[in-house]
Amino acid sequence: MTIQQLVELGRQFLLGCAGTLCFGLLFGIPRRTYLACAADGAVGWVVYQLAVLLGAGGVAATLLAAVPLTLLARVFAITLKAPVTVFLLCGIFPLVPGAGIYYTAYYFILDNNPLFIENGVNTLKVAVALAIGISLVLGMPFPHFGQKSSEQLLKSRSDTKTE
Amino acid sequence: MAVPIEQYPDSEQRRRIMDFIMAAGQTLLENGAEVFRVEQTMQIMARSFHLREFNVYVLSNGIFASAGTAEISEVRNIPVRTIHLGRVAQVNALSREIAAGKLTLDEAEQRLAEARKIPFPCGWMQLLAGTAGSFAFARMFGGSVGSGVAAAAAGLAVSAYLLVCQKYRLPAIFQKITGAALITFVAILVCAPLGASVSHATIGALMILTPGVAFTMGIRDYVHGDYLSGTIRMIDAVLIAGSLACGTGLVLRLYSILTGVTVL
Repeated sequence: MTIQQLVELGRQFLLGCAGTLCFGLLFGIPRRTYLACAADGAVGWVVYQLAVLLGAGGVAATLLAAVPLTLLARVFAITLKAPVTVFLLCGIFPLVPGAGIYYTAYYFILDNNPLFIENGVNTLKVAVALAIGISLVLGMPFPHFGQKSSEQLLKSRSDTKTE
Repeated sequence: MAVPIEQYPDSEQRRRIMDFIMAAGQTLLENGAEVFRVEQTMQIMARSFHLREFNVYVLSNGIFASAGTAEISEVRNIPVRTIHLGRVAQVNALSREIAAGKLTLDEAEQRLAEARKIPFPCGWMQLLAGTAGSFAFARMFGGSVGSGVAAAAAGLAVSAYLLVCQKYRLPAIFQKITGAALITFVAILVCAPLGASVSHATIGALMILTPGVAFTMGIRDYVHGDYLSGTIRMIDAVLIAGSLACGTGLVLRLYSILTGVTVL
């Protein structure tokens, strides 16, 4: 990898941070999660760019990016004690095929059927890749780093009572 | 040390607990939590307050719950949906504290009322976020600096427009169509003197309106097996995408008819 590519990735990281944080602000995320959300979105975006740089297609790159992004969202959710949604919703934004959906519908209106179908299928694939990436990591068992979930808090409470 | 909640609340108390739990669920749902989280949080709260036989079924726009062998049952319709993740996080924290037995019902009601009142970022902050976000996304998707500037201008315009729309409570589809048209119009206007690519500028600013939230929440609902709610959100995402394309297509078509030049 050349220096130029590294600089480009760094630039993309910063842009990803800025873009994600701006959308996080619009969703009213808590102030203490600003940095974590920005980092989450930027990591997803940089992994996507890196995968594209190394020759992966858009679909594979999205799947590859969704995994570390969701992992990081779960880590932040535990360490910062906030719902995963806060980080996931903001972090996923750069990867959501907004442009794909847009082009698909645009060609539909223009009555350009070949391009409409091409864009549509591609957008669907990206969406499915994103969904698979997210659901794989969300479904995975995950260490709690000593944090108790609400369920466990409840259980430990009723245990002490019966003693 | 908080006063422990009595093990068997009387009927008056049960009604209050039920109201509290419904209000908490409503707060979560209308601020963008996924169906699974709403159901789980409500159940945990019910168990913490010793509300027996609590059953709940949540859809993306409604909550159905009953307690104590259907002695109490409530249905809530939640038609309006805004995204405020700060409130979701706050109710989540509240639920954890209740589960740990740290709060009485009075305190919990107080805290919920506070959580529901967490404000959105003020107007100029939203304008700034929309502008900077549009610039960043236009650049991320490979636009030149010129495209970025055009996207920022379009983002500023559409953020201001959305604020006005929210004030007069215009329908969502109308907001999206006209908002997308406005973005395209401003992008063409600013790109022309700068000689930048219109499509990058448009897509950058369109990110403000894209159905990313509906899409992600749809996936999250599917993952937890809430297929009905997931489908509702996905239909929402597709409809929004269609509206955006309508608005953008309209302006691009008009432009090419008027000037004879095809953009994009």
